[in-house]
Amino acid sequence: MSLQVWVRRTRTPEPASVKREIAVIEPSDLLEIEARDDPDASPVLCCTGESAGAAAFGGLWLKRIAGAGRYAAAVSVRGQGSTPAAPGGLEACAHDVVQAAIGLPRQAVLVGHGSGAAWAALAAGRYPAAALVLVSPQKMPKQPPRPVGEPKVLLAVGEAEAQSKEAQATAEAYGVAPLTFAGNSGDVFTGAGAEGLLDAVLSWLGSKD
Amino acid sequence: MQEYSSQAAYDRGEAVCVIGAGAAGLIAVKNLRENGFEVDCYERDTVLGGLWNPENQHSPLYPHTHLVTSRSQTEIPDFPMPDDWPDYPSAAQMLDYLKRYAAHFGLAEHIWYGSEISHIEPVEGSRFEIVVKPAAGSAARRLRYGAVIIATGHHWVPNLPSYPGQDGFRGTILHSSQLKDGSRLRGKTVLVVGGGNSGIDIACEAAVNAAECVHSVRRGYWYLPKYLGGEPADYALARLQRRPRWLRGFLTDRLLKGHRELSARMGMEAPDHKHTDEEPIRNGRYLEHVGDGSIQHRGEVTRFDGGEVAFTDGTTVRPDVVVLATGYKPKIGCCPPGLLGVDGDSPYPKLLARMFSPRVETLAVAGLVEPGVGALPIFHWQTHAIAHWLHIRKGDPERAANFRQQVVSESAQYAVDSTGVSPRHHLAVDAEEYLAGLGRIIDTLEQEPAK
Repeated sequence: MSLQVWVRRTRTPEPASVKREIAVIEPSDLLEIEARDDPDASPVLCCTGESAGAAAFGGLWLKRIAGAGRYAAAVSVRGQGSTPAAPGGLEACAHDVVQAAIGLPRQAVLVGHGSGAAWAALAAGRYPAAALVLVSPQKMPKQPPRPVGEPKVLLAVGEAEAQSKEAQATAEAYGVAPLTFAGNSGDVFTGAGAEGLLDAVLSWLGSKD
Repeated sequence: MQEYSSQAAYDRGEAVCVIGAGAAGLIAVKNLRENGFEVDCYERDTVLGGLWNPENQHSPLYPHTHLVTSRSQTEIPDFPMPDDWPDYPSAAQMLDYLKRYAAHFGLAEHIWYGSEISHIEPVEGSRFEIVVKPAAGSAARRLRYGAVIIATGHHWVPNLPSYPGQDGFRGTILHSSQLKDGSRLRGKTVLVVGGGNSGIDIACEAAVNAAECVHSVRRGYWYLPKYLGGEPADYALARLQRRPRWLRGFLTDRLLKGHRELSARMGMEAPDHKHTDEEPIRNGRYLEHVGDGSIQHRGEVTRFDGGEVAFTDGTTVRPDVVVLATGYKPKIGCCPPGLLGVDGDSPYPKLLARMFSPRVETLAVAGLVEPGVGALPIFHWQTHAIAHWLHIRKGDPERAANFRQQVVSESAQYAVDSTGVSPRHHLAVDAEEYLAGLGRIIDTLEQEPAK
């Protein structure tokens, strides 16, 4: 975030405050014996463009992330899940993601799926995410802001959409090669493809570069 | 310096030393870490948060201290405050916010508490040797660092006026920093001296608690409420900057006119400066308390006489308690004054762009400005620039040298021309211009190197 962008933002009205639904699973919440708790690992905050919001991650993602020793959270932005609708477009949704992120105990990894990837990308432009993960991004801004604090960025797209303009533009904007997973954007929450994707994301997060 | 141990200094390599774990220090640590530096932060007290922490034994907080700038203008740019907090958070919330910031970015592990820096000196060209004086009285330690950032702030050494006869005064005289508890004013006749934000806030506190409150101010100020035109005042005024220049003056005047007329009606002297030149008074209750007589507004104190205090207009009052809300003097004890460009007896450093030492490239001061707007963003952008600069200096000395030129030319621009005499004037900058200057410095630093 450049200083000029920040100045402009402080002079535009802040989006209305809403009470956000945030689903959290901590490693210590899991009963499994083999669950590890890694206090140094960055928490993970997920958001999706699907209307279920945080609930979409409840079935598989949060448990799996917590199982890998990370504090796992998902947020419903305005109008999703049980978060009340409020005015404001893309910017307001990004604001909701940032507000959820600052509520986490430590610097968080932002994971955005679908149009949630666009919010996560905007949020990473004003909050120093530990890492940025964009899964099947949709409706991305033409020129996503440069992430502050220069986090590492992962772009994951389904096989079916790997050649799409959106995926290629995003890959180019961040200068990363996309990771492809079996299936398409709709398959990321359940099924074998989803587990494979999650494992790939978690191992990428765990890797030192 | 014979008291320092004769042991060789412990060399911390390219690590950076940050002095002070208040708001500016914490932000400096976070931004340095983000740029890949090892950081040791030394805090003389045993808690973080600096002036915002009432457990800090030197804390200057007075009863019911609140921010005078609104949340959106005060929060750290890359770590906003929770948006369900009030427009003007309290000192307790501010401390909570700084603690969250420190926890979120894992800053605590880099802070050494109870460690006062007694001395720093340049060695081997651009490196620094520092002497840590542990509070417990054990031996001093010496360490070497690649760079030093001083973030000790300027609200620690009370600026105390002296009036004729003050020593013989029979009542109690306190500096605002000693007034920890508003109940000390209850039922008393209170004289508050000083027209800054602390003086105004304490006068309002006394207006509802004390039997009688007299407030002495020696010159004109801008008395603004915390809200203007249905919005937080600083936000409303800052927004006008987006308007074309010809319209801006008109709109600003329209917002301020009513309050200027009201303060004239209340018998206040007209301000001798623009509202952006120094921090305006931001307290909507003050003029109402003057209006309903619970605060008696007076001119400057001329003398103390036994139990009596006289003012320039010839009136007198017999106060039980005198609160001197007369501000603070900046003091950077650990650093040789020459390194900060201090000449003669003046306590005021002359820094390049208000942050870089004019003498040594690797010494910078964060937070030694009075911008008249929220301070945390200024600290953020300052330390952002300092951290980037140190980073580039390490990798590309040639670019660093070009950059130095620019800083020198920038620094001439934002001294505020003010005729005022209070200490903080020396630190005042026009926020609009200063931020623009910082922006240009940061842009230069972030440009891709010419290949």
